[in-house]
Amino acid sequence: MKWVTWENIGVDRMACAWLIRRWIDPKAEFLFIPMGEKSLPEDAEPFDIPGTRYSHHGGHCTFYMLLKEHKVEDPVLARIAQMVDEADVIQDVTVEPAAIGLDLICRGLRQISKDDYEALERGQLIYEALYAELSRDEV
Amino acid sequence: MTAWLLLHYKLPSKPSALRVYIWRKLKRVGAILLYEAVWVLPDNPRTAEQIQWLAVEIQEMGGNAYYWRANTILGEQEESLVQQFNEQVDAVYSDLLKRLENPRADLQEIAKQYQQASSQDFFHSKLGLLVREKLTSKRGEKP
Repeated sequence: MKWVTWENIGVDRMACAWLIRRWIDPKAEFLFIPMGEKSLPEDAEPFDIPGTRYSHHGGHCTFYMLLKEHKVEDPVLARIAQMVDEADVIQDVTVEPAAIGLDLICRGLRQISKDDYEALERGQLIYEALYAELSRDEV
Repeated sequence: MTAWLLLHYKLPSKPSALRVYIWRKLKRVGAILLYEAVWVLPDNPRTAEQIQWLAVEIQEMGGNAYYWRANTILGEQEESLVQQFNEQVDAVYSDLLKRLENPRADLQEIAKQYQQASSQDFFHSKLGLLVREKLTSKRGEKP
């Protein structure tokens, strides 16, 4: 399946792309359109674009909504969702200090990548690593 | 020239908790409400994204939000805005500096409040640097 999002990906969309490929659609192909572009390609599922199904809802990030909509139940992913929420959405109360660092790293990763495709691929490693390390706490 | 983000919104009158909820989020990122009318923040990739999603949240709540990126036309107004943002964090920093003079100061609590203030310190206040230096030099100091 094809998935489409706005250009210039950051913490939430890198996390989403990783989640989609690893848990939801292993053959996912990703497309990017300019920010604010009104017409979406018809054959692709949009994500993290305001007003679409897989986007921010009720003050939660898109990663959180993808987990919820696809009923992926995994305590480590739930923790990552909390981090992405704290990194990407204004929060009154925060419980994951790593969120700020995660946000910075993802922004920097986009900056040093030649395009969104490269940033997305490199982002996979960040989340794979985060998942592996957080999983050690869960045993 | 600094670019500014402006947010102007209305929310359904009930429940009133929604107003408080949005108001607190804007305070949390350090936005300033100008003349009870428009919220303003300096534009950077982080604030731009945060306010984008806040505007979406307001619309989901049945409200409406206009979200702009703008420049001031008169130069001194830009200075006045920068000054307002600095005053906002300097008030916190001055309080922290005062508390740091106490030998029994709760360093962890002060560090937490410093981190929160510095996330709103868009124009790099000198006082912030001072708090940071004092905190890091006190760290590990034996009573």
